[in-house]
Amino acid sequence: MVKRYGMVIDLERCTGCQTCTVACKVEHGIEVGSGISVQTVGGPHRDTPGGTYPNLSMYYLPTPCMHCDKPPCQDACPAGAISKRPDGIVLIDEEKCDGCQMCISACPYEALFFDSDKNVVRKCNMCSDRLDEGFEPFCVLCCGVDAMFYGDIADPASDVSKLIANRNAYTLKSEQGAGPAIYYCAPQPPRRL
Amino acid sequence: MTLQRQVRAVPGAEVIRTVCPYGCGISCGILAHVKDGVLLKVEPSDHAGTSHVCVKSLSAPKLVYHPDRLKHPMKRVGERGEGKWQPISWDEALETIASKLKDIGAKYGTNSLGFVSTGVGLFSNLLTVGFAGACGGTFILPAGLGDSAGPCADMASFGAFMWYGEDYLNRFENPAFCVAWGNNPADTQPFKWRRIMDAKEKGARLVVIDPRFTTTASKADEYIRIRPGTDAALALGMMNVILERGLHDIGFLIQHTVAPFLVRMDNGLFLREKDISRGESEKYVIWDQGENSAATHDMSNTSPAVIGTFTVNGIECKPAFQLLSELIDQYPPEKASEITNVPVETMIKLAMEYATQKPTATYRGMGGTRGSLYGDLTFRAINTLAAITGNISVRTPHTTQYNFMTFMTHGISDLVTLLQMYEAIENEQPHPLKSLWMTRHNLMNQDPNFNKFTRELLPKLELVVAVDMFMTTSAKYADIVLPTCSPYEWNDLAASIGEGSQDYLQLQKKVIEPLHESKSDIEIYSGLAEKMGIEGFLDKTDKEYIEIMIASGHPTMEGITLEKLEEAPQYPAPDPAPPFATPSGRIEFYTERLKDFDQALPVYIEPMESQRTPLAHKYPLSISTTHPKYRLHSMYTNISWIREIDTEPVLNISPEDAKPRNIKDGDLVRVFNDRGEVKLKAQVQNGIPQRLVNMNQGWSPWHYKAGTHQALTHNTINPAQAAIYEPNAAFCDTLVEIERVEEG
Repeated sequence: MVKRYGMVIDLERCTGCQTCTVACKVEHGIEVGSGISVQTVGGPHRDTPGGTYPNLSMYYLPTPCMHCDKPPCQDACPAGAISKRPDGIVLIDEEKCDGCQMCISACPYEALFFDSDKNVVRKCNMCSDRLDEGFEPFCVLCCGVDAMFYGDIADPASDVSKLIANRNAYTLKSEQGAGPAIYYCAPQPPRRL
Repeated sequence: MTLQRQVRAVPGAEVIRTVCPYGCGISCGILAHVKDGVLLKVEPSDHAGTSHVCVKSLSAPKLVYHPDRLKHPMKRVGERGEGKWQPISWDEALETIASKLKDIGAKYGTNSLGFVSTGVGLFSNLLTVGFAGACGGTFILPAGLGDSAGPCADMASFGAFMWYGEDYLNRFENPAFCVAWGNNPADTQPFKWRRIMDAKEKGARLVVIDPRFTTTASKADEYIRIRPGTDAALALGMMNVILERGLHDIGFLIQHTVAPFLVRMDNGLFLREKDISRGESEKYVIWDQGENSAATHDMSNTSPAVIGTFTVNGIECKPAFQLLSELIDQYPPEKASEITNVPVETMIKLAMEYATQKPTATYRGMGGTRGSLYGDLTFRAINTLAAITGNISVRTPHTTQYNFMTFMTHGISDLVTLLQMYEAIENEQPHPLKSLWMTRHNLMNQDPNFNKFTRELLPKLELVVAVDMFMTTSAKYADIVLPTCSPYEWNDLAASIGEGSQDYLQLQKKVIEPLHESKSDIEIYSGLAEKMGIEGFLDKTDKEYIEIMIASGHPTMEGITLEKLEEAPQYPAPDPAPPFATPSGRIEFYTERLKDFDQALPVYIEPMESQRTPLAHKYPLSISTTHPKYRLHSMYTNISWIREIDTEPVLNISPEDAKPRNIKDGDLVRVFNDRGEVKLKAQVQNGIPQRLVNMNQGWSPWHYKAGTHQALTHNTINPAQAAIYEPNAAFCDTLVEIERVEEG
């Protein structure tokens, strides 16, 4: 069976600590920006809630590249710099990228960013070089609240597939049809006293 | 060292197991990737259960190789704080300091030489205490910068040592109900947070009590907004609900607390056997309902009374629980609600769940103690609530009792607490303090009442020395600054400090050579000792000192050796001491030592600068200066990766308070009171209640448009805290007003 790498991010456990974003900088030598960003879902600013007391709510949404089945960024790239591996990982060839940034606007997930130092667009490659040697993505390793999981989502017996099934994990903007490989477990609604 | 799991090393790099050495107190195990003597990368350690990194530890190479690191000793050539410096040699620096210290010591007495330090590695503080002792000086105990009210409470309640008191409230295998009370572990205590999330996944509900909506609150099943500094009144109101319904745990109270001990009505002391019969027996006395007579507490087959009034040998007495009940009777939920702003219905539900969902785990951190000058009473009330419902883990906290005397080879120094230091400098009480040496302690940035300190106290100091990695706020005001190594540049021992930190001992390893002209503490203090003519101080190597530290002979250190530590972190053995080290050996909700302060019981006292004091007419808003999520106190504000996330200081304000002041989101505001001011950007948001403003502390004056947040805070001493342990800086018991100001 063909392997399909994907990730599951548990929004119930994620505390928005941004360790994954800095871990990505460390692993990939990124000075400004990151292959994964963490948005606050709630109020207008980072770490602020939506609603009014007593019905305040806030959660965090880490968004790496979704490693889509049909990557809109790939179609948008005039230089042919974006490719998809057989295991589903979407890569940017920095040699071919000319920094036109068409892909950035094509991505529904705002997952790509421009590295002005290198004049290339960069994004999460799921630490493919680590995966190829049998190591977990660095953000997964560093996540201190055990909110990030990776594995083969095509194998129903894998831990991530079970997590997706058991927690009814969902993908973002699935209606757009890109077929993202990053799944989310919803935050648990308050059970009240 | 053998790695426990496969690690993908940076090509050509050696991977060394060490500890994140920066002072959040948690001491996460990490692996350092070092190539050709350069620290390239940090990742989580490879030992099960010890793995954690955050944005701070991952930024280690940025911090270590920061271009702004102090590179050589410097002396001030302008006025203090003016920022004019001249590089000097180590020899000149130490010679100048030594001769000045000797002069000051001769003139005012050597105990006028003050030393303070902070750090996670044990060398930092113990060496400083040791050096203070060696030169006859005074060590300034730093816990009072926000962290001492909790220990005050836990010493009274449990006899707990330092920050281990919280262990009694939440070290349960499977908590059925979790209450985070003024605590935000999701942001500040990751190991504790994991335990809470694991309990929640198993079905426990989480309640968060906090004036502001934190990350932890966002994970709660019920978030309860409380008026700042009134937590003790909530605990008393909950206890009222519990006693009213008979939900208290009488068996636990009789077995583990002072509930049945008789208290003399004439002097407020526990009745002792010597009070009612001949001899000098200090045994406590109870009223045995079976025999209808007094008996000593250790007699078997008694049926102790916990309610009532009894006359023994002509002395009127009441069981301690009777006195507690009388206090609790004064706080029906309606009254507690009026004080706390917590709705009656919520309070009743919370109290009933707290008492019946056993075990209920309570997580307190330190936040709840900073909202009131009487923060120790806040924690004593919470401890009492846990005790009357039997939600106490009856076991001795997991401590690491290393050899505290390692560097005290030349005697023990005088000790002054942080807030008493202000008194010593200003009024020469209990003795003058004329010089101040700060090792990695950013006193002027992190301690209260900045303007008072810099304008009134600083001029009285004849020598100020800062030993630091960067030109901090405190270093700016120093006469001489000395560059210290980063903690990746020396060997040290890191131990648990309790309160959400790791449970084990581990080595902080020197993974790279000292950069620039920086020196380790051992080198600095031994150099200074030599210049001062102190002989025989620090004549061993760092590893030898670590061995002495381990060899304390205390049972917790049994079997731990340097060789084992080189291999892996080591868990201390259980402490065989009885669980409660109070005078009675039981949980004391009635504390004899505090009766002269009318605080023998955990009474509620309105915060000193509460919103309901007359001062609030002038300054109607409470301000809290809470721990930052992405930084550590004043550290990491200079790390670009972190500033990309946490860009600038902001003042959180509710729409209700912003609107009448014509403040819009993003406006520049001036926050002020009689002590000082700070100008920063307003962030209007719904997570903050009306009449509270909040900001993350740790920013330095140059990050603000003007002023600094510590200019708002005060250094008031609570004498009851001073009597029991250390008085605490009640940073968040502070009133302010704010106004919109124009940019520029």
